[in-house]
Amino acid sequence: MSQKVSLLLDSQLNAEDVARVLQDLGADDALRDRFTIYALVGDAMRGVNVPDDGFSTRIFARLRREGVKVEGGYDPLA
Amino acid sequence: MMQTDSELVRLAQSGDHLAFEALVVKYQRRIARHVARYVPIASDVEDVVQEVFIRAFRGLHSFRGDSAFYTWLYRIATNAALTFLRRAPLEEQLDDSEDEGSNLFEPGISDGETPERTLMASQIADAVRQGLARMQPELVDALTLFEVEGKSYSDIAQMFDVPVGTVRSRIFRAREALAKRLEPMLAPQRDRRW
Repeated sequence: MSQKVSLLLDSQLNAEDVARVLQDLGADDALRDRFTIYALVGDAMRGVNVPDDGFSTRIFARLRREGVKVEGGYDPLA
Repeated sequence: MMQTDSELVRLAQSGDHLAFEALVVKYQRRIARHVARYVPIASDVEDVVQEVFIRAFRGLHSFRGDSAFYTWLYRIATNAALTFLRRAPLEEQLDDSEDEGSNLFEPGISDGETPERTLMASQIADAVRQGLARMQPELVDALTLFEVEGKSYSDIAQMFDVPVGTVRSRIFRAREALAKRLEPMLAPQRDRRW
């Protein structure tokens, strides 16, 4: 399954597999951690400094705290 | 082969939070580095990056797939950073930051980065470098060509005259080797990750 996660990160899965892997990610902490570490490795190789201190979880927390929803008429580039 | 980002975006547009979270995990640091070119203080960078992803999530329906999702995010990030700068003039930000160290995302820019975060980033980078130095060359080549050179799986397969399946396997094996090397170092932070 970790190989599927690697392929998900690299945009190498078809729609059906994406849905399946996401389902697995939702149910498996260790798999989500794998996805995160694979992304971190790529950033480190590209020279993007990579602190691992909950940066993404703070983004998710703010999305939840502020109850952010997809809005039909909203254009973030306007 | 379908582009996963398109599918992740489609799922996120239909309300799948996990799909959006995967996109955040994938692009957060690249967006942070871009924002840090405009915004000198690390804590401000993080605020702006949060704003970028909030705007992106709210506006997912406006993403039509005419460009790559990352390109769209990058444009949102530029706008968000410029908006931030208009609200807080650069001189004030630099006065606030004084000589508190280099910006973690964009070295050389002053900010309020903590030594602990700088050390952690440096340790991760060192572990990746050491891991690559001890890895079979064909695995290093595959991962480097993909991650650093931006080559596609099929480009890499052609370059080494191997099936695409071999490239998939090599990239995965390289990542796994590096992940195993990083795991002990990252374990204390596990509950703060996705």
